[in-house]
Amino acid sequence: MRSEAGKVSTSPRARTRRRIGGDGPLAALLLAPAALLLCGVLLFPMLTTFRDSLFVNKLTEPWLGTPFVGLKQYAQMVQDPRFLNALRNTLFFGVLTVGGSFLVGIPMALLAHTPSRVRGLARVALLLPWAMPPVITGLIFAWLFNGQYGVVNDVLVRGGLVGEPLRWLSTPGLAVVAMVITIVWKTSSFVALIVLGGLQGIPRELTEAADVDGATRVQTFWRVILPLLGPSLAVAFIFRAISAVQVFDIPYTFIQQAPAQGLLETLGVYIYRTSIEFLDFGYAAALSVALFGVSLAVTLVYVRFVRGGEG
Amino acid sequence: MEQAPRLNLSERVIRALGLALLVFGGFFPLVWMLLTSLKNEGELQKFPVQYLPSHPDIANYARVFSEQPFGTFFMNSLIVSVLSTALCVAVAVPAAYALARLEIRARGLLLTLVVAFSMLPVVSLLVPLFRLMRSANLLNSYPALILPYAALSLPVAVLTLVAFFSAIPRDLEAAAMVDGTSRVGAMTRIVLPLSLPGVVTAALLVFVNSWNEFLLALSFNTRLNMRTVSVGVTLYQGEFAFPWPLISAAVVIAVVPIVVLIAVFQKRFVAGLTAGGVKA
Repeated sequence: MRSEAGKVSTSPRARTRRRIGGDGPLAALLLAPAALLLCGVLLFPMLTTFRDSLFVNKLTEPWLGTPFVGLKQYAQMVQDPRFLNALRNTLFFGVLTVGGSFLVGIPMALLAHTPSRVRGLARVALLLPWAMPPVITGLIFAWLFNGQYGVVNDVLVRGGLVGEPLRWLSTPGLAVVAMVITIVWKTSSFVALIVLGGLQGIPRELTEAADVDGATRVQTFWRVILPLLGPSLAVAFIFRAISAVQVFDIPYTFIQQAPAQGLLETLGVYIYRTSIEFLDFGYAAALSVALFGVSLAVTLVYVRFVRGGEG
Repeated sequence: MEQAPRLNLSERVIRALGLALLVFGGFFPLVWMLLTSLKNEGELQKFPVQYLPSHPDIANYARVFSEQPFGTFFMNSLIVSVLSTALCVAVAVPAAYALARLEIRARGLLLTLVVAFSMLPVVSLLVPLFRLMRSANLLNSYPALILPYAALSLPVAVLTLVAFFSAIPRDLEAAAMVDGTSRVGAMTRIVLPLSLPGVVTAALLVFVNSWNEFLLALSFNTRLNMRTVSVGVTLYQGEFAFPWPLISAAVVIAVVPIVVLIAVFQKRFVAGLTAGGVKA
């Protein structure tokens, strides 16, 4: 659909345009403000990060000055147990939360897709987790998982599943479970919305034909709907993967309340602490470049798979 | 109107249960904060949990405003979010129009760049952006947040708008231009009015992103009277104490604009986000 726009066309419209001098100057004029904002506020700081990663810059040890050290901080990084731990946590949370958001998000989309009397309400319920500030989501779930008076404990105790309230946030393993649930709650909406878009693009005739041929609803889902959702699922997956790699706000809030810090520290949190708490800007820059690298790798996969199809 | 598919009884039961679960799951955490905000510390410290407050008390809401300048936080968030939305949309509309409609040789490359920008981790930009704002003397000012918020939301706004602009038939513009309107005239008089829903969607996205942002707000505007609500809600916790009724009340106030927007524009959000997703 979009590729049509890129071709040189000989329609009356194109001829009109050529007569008035082509699109080049106008396009440049229209794109300039956006380019200026992106370059000034995103590209320039990004390039600064690359440069900073090559210099030592520790505010806590000012006597060191800011000498050029080349790739030394990268060498330090790959031997830094805290970095490796954060990387491992990030990937671990990434796999669990991305997978979880698909397991929850796809049924959510199917529910929101079928017309019903409560459709408006269902849509608000679907959008709320997506639109909620992540920091506030973290706070809310920290309260739900409270070790003494939390609702989660109340339900478990009343249901006879546990005898005593569990100290969710101060028990390392349980803190991880609580954080995964929180992130899945927050991000399933996004998957559901993208999948909903895919569902709306499937012609009704296809599912009806399967219906007429005697397929059960489950068969129709696996054989007809799911394959057609391929592109939407790919888009949702890439965007979820990116946000999972960068996750910061929710772990940050949890760590404020949980002694089980080592297991909850993600790359984003480690970079934040290295820069803001340890004031080691050079090393934080090197860590940031590593995070760019992981994000870029996922972005390239996205461009290759999704945008590549448009030629 | 869509026709409801024929479902048998068990399918209807499963769907009703699913919908109930969806609605419950979406609303419960916020409802729980609302209930918590109406309790006092004594009611809170009960186990098994007492679900409904026995004497609903709005005193916590008054304390939210008396213990911290929360009204100021709220105004700051409002100002920053509205202005970053205005800036972002003003810049995104012409750019998206050019990318969707004009003949640009590097179109594919430019769109790829926009996607790449949308995937930059904010935490990696924190230190250099901080230095930039400090050298521009902008720390503890609205522009310190408005500029990055507008820039960070620009890629998603552009991609959404490109999807909407592309969906408008080109013949409409062509006809107007054959009739003697200039390209800019065709853009402002034909394409823009028709894509108003897209502009609204993009604006809503930027507003929600800006309202919710935490990291930059936490780091750039550190003076109390320049704080935003997302940072403000974290200021009630002491070193060891978490006054949950108070925090809950602050949370409830902080999400009011988001909940109102979602409730009013739910159709628009779903349409806009799904359109973007399908197109991407």
